[in-house]
Amino acid sequence: MSFALRLKTFFKMRNLSKVLIGIILFTIIVVPIIRMIFYMDLESLQNVFGSELFYTYLLNSFTSTLVATAISIVLGYALAWAITRTNIKVKYLFTILITLPMLIPSISHGMGLIILFGNNGIITRLFGLTESIYGFWGVVTGSVLYSFPIAFIMIADILKYEDHTPYEAADVLGIPKYRQFTSITFPYIRKPMISVIFAVFTMIVTDYGVTLSIGGKFKTLPVMLYEDAVGQLNYSTGSVIGLVLLVPALVAFLFDLFNKDKGNSGYVQKTNTMKSRVNDIIGYVIVSLCSIAVLLVISSFIIQAFATTYPTNMDFTWKHFENTFSKNGAKFLGNSILIAFLTSLVGVTIASATAYLAARVKSKFSSFLHLMAIVSLAVPGLVLGLAYVIIFKKTFIYGTIVILIMVNTVHFFASPYLMIYNAFGKLNENLEEVGHILGIKRARIVFNVLIPQCKYTLVEMFSYFFVNSMMTISAVSFLATPSNKPISLLINQFETYNMMECAAVVALLILVINMLMKGIVYLIRTIGNKYANKKTV
Amino acid sequence: MKLEIKNLSKTFDTKEAVKNVSFSVNEGEFLSILGPSGCGKTTLLRMLIGLVKPTSGQILKDGKDITNVVPSARKMGFVFQNYALFENMTVLGNVEYALKIKKETRATAREVATKLIEKMGLSEHINKKPSALSGGQQQRVAIARTLALNPDIILFDEPMSALDVATRLSLRKELKDIQKEYGTTMIYITHDQEEAFAMSDRILVMDTSVAVQLDTPENIIKHPANEYVEKFVVENLKIKIDSLSKYIGVSKKK
Repeated sequence: MSFALRLKTFFKMRNLSKVLIGIILFTIIVVPIIRMIFYMDLESLQNVFGSELFYTYLLNSFTSTLVATAISIVLGYALAWAITRTNIKVKYLFTILITLPMLIPSISHGMGLIILFGNNGIITRLFGLTESIYGFWGVVTGSVLYSFPIAFIMIADILKYEDHTPYEAADVLGIPKYRQFTSITFPYIRKPMISVIFAVFTMIVTDYGVTLSIGGKFKTLPVMLYEDAVGQLNYSTGSVIGLVLLVPALVAFLFDLFNKDKGNSGYVQKTNTMKSRVNDIIGYVIVSLCSIAVLLVISSFIIQAFATTYPTNMDFTWKHFENTFSKNGAKFLGNSILIAFLTSLVGVTIASATAYLAARVKSKFSSFLHLMAIVSLAVPGLVLGLAYVIIFKKTFIYGTIVILIMVNTVHFFASPYLMIYNAFGKLNENLEEVGHILGIKRARIVFNVLIPQCKYTLVEMFSYFFVNSMMTISAVSFLATPSNKPISLLINQFETYNMMECAAVVALLILVINMLMKGIVYLIRTIGNKYANKKTV
Repeated sequence: MKLEIKNLSKTFDTKEAVKNVSFSVNEGEFLSILGPSGCGKTTLLRMLIGLVKPTSGQILKDGKDITNVVPSARKMGFVFQNYALFENMTVLGNVEYALKIKKETRATAREVATKLIEKMGLSEHINKKPSALSGGQQQRVAIARTLALNPDIILFDEPMSALDVATRLSLRKELKDIQKEYGTTMIYITHDQEEAFAMSDRILVMDTSVAVQLDTPENIIKHPANEYVEKFVVENLKIKIDSLSKYIGVSKKK
């Protein structure tokens, strides 16, 4: 190809817009991380790697995360098996219950455990326990509470799309059940399970919330980063730890990138639930135990938030709510809702536009754009927040909600992007060409044909951005100032002053708002489907 | 409406998909392009409608060069193998959509669409979504959608390859009926020798990226241009006939 021709193809609208969006994504995701890396100096490297504490925290991080990940994965698998493979009743109700922890900040799980099992905890007093919850096992338990719903959802997704026909073939051939597991199930779930393990590990190892609230003297690397950078504004040593925390996320990202699941859910003939009384009973036991654990944590918030003075005076009161609101709670709640709403709007728009270009306008730059759109998966929120504060501290958007909307959009971009990317990819590949032939503009086809078919995906994306923006405490903790602070960050503040009642109020508020969001999504879906059915019948 | 194709070629990167193909299509003719999968016939058809830009060569419609004209201005229709219907719209919505967008046709859009749907035997399904229809019915909707803009030429890209035999046979007849009624020129891609022979006035036989022979079905059987045509067309048809005549012959003797 001649140079002039190359130049011409490059400047075609479709290529140009892709490169442009790709570069913008690169600038707001990758460049800040590079900037952060260059922020480190020799002294802080020596300070961090030369301190004994670093290695203690590294070991703490590693051991507690490893144990919590193992428990989460086993629990997630058991739950996914119970929901997808047994015939237990009211699965949707159980699914809602066991995914409730995804709607609240990680730090509130630690707090819930303290309310339940702390020195003055509800269960501690009830059973006269003497074991302390603070430290290693508290962190592990809190991390499990925080991460098992994610493990459950990811594993259920794998099991849901497993084809049952190989099992039927194996039955016909007389292959025993245990051999079927080793030769059919295991090879099928191996790679996706490794992805789940990486994802859960990364999620736990980069979280500071649980450890900060319940770890006591047991500290981990994210807490060290948090105390250095948020507490003492020492961004330089923070960057060093940030770089260390980037490693597991990057490994997980690269593993996924090079192990794209080649299976096609389109080939799934049918999945099967076995008719087995024993399995059903085991299923009930597993989901009930998990549901009870989740409900215990949530009721601990309710008791703390509504009891006048737990445990001496259990009379109902709104006092703690009033107290929370008077301490800027109302303002920060408003901030949170506004930030979450705007993040959702901006995020859905940018993610959809990017996904449309990457999935439906084929050209050489599609894969570059796609990579830029999912690269945020490799950046933990804590690291992203630090990188952003280094870059934006001295700009005019620092201290406004704009910076928080920006960082949330970037932080949560990849998952909603992938939702709509897959939805667009599944639609008939010739639709735009039909428009081209019939004389209908591309934009019209997009708005009249493509988007109506993906409307529920858009609603799900909106809800994903919203819920996560409401509950996040990672990236935003570096960028929040008294004027733009989201309410989720109040939990830690209240805990520090030992105002557990107010902290519980905040956790409850976030939970209720996020449940409302999920409820609205559910309503839109059911009403939409009913309406659609009525129309065609 | 006469269509003339002159030395049309298309090269993707280094692969020559269509090499120097020339032929012409007469007004009201049913012309099939017959060839094995991957021979370049779909690329050829996509060049005719304008979805693929030829590397070299010319397409003339009634003497006018349309090689670089946008697809929608060619007054040609295109029916996809996978129907490519608008799943969120009803049958009526699919057929009237393009008419409603254009100023000139907006007023009569519903009337025109309803008539076409009736003609295609889909009246009882007019308010259904495509997902509630069978494959054959969906392809009828796609054909009605194409007919709505009253094209001079309709191009078919293996429109029946996903349908069962009985549906194919009835749709074949319907296509021929439409052609008679509207006098539309039709260019039809298939890899099925029998289908090409049953429907076409003339057949263009393609080997990998090149056109080998263009003639009436009768002449192709009588005088295959080369060994490839002899093998791919004539022999394959004979095998099909032989395997069936055994049984048909038996029943006749009785």
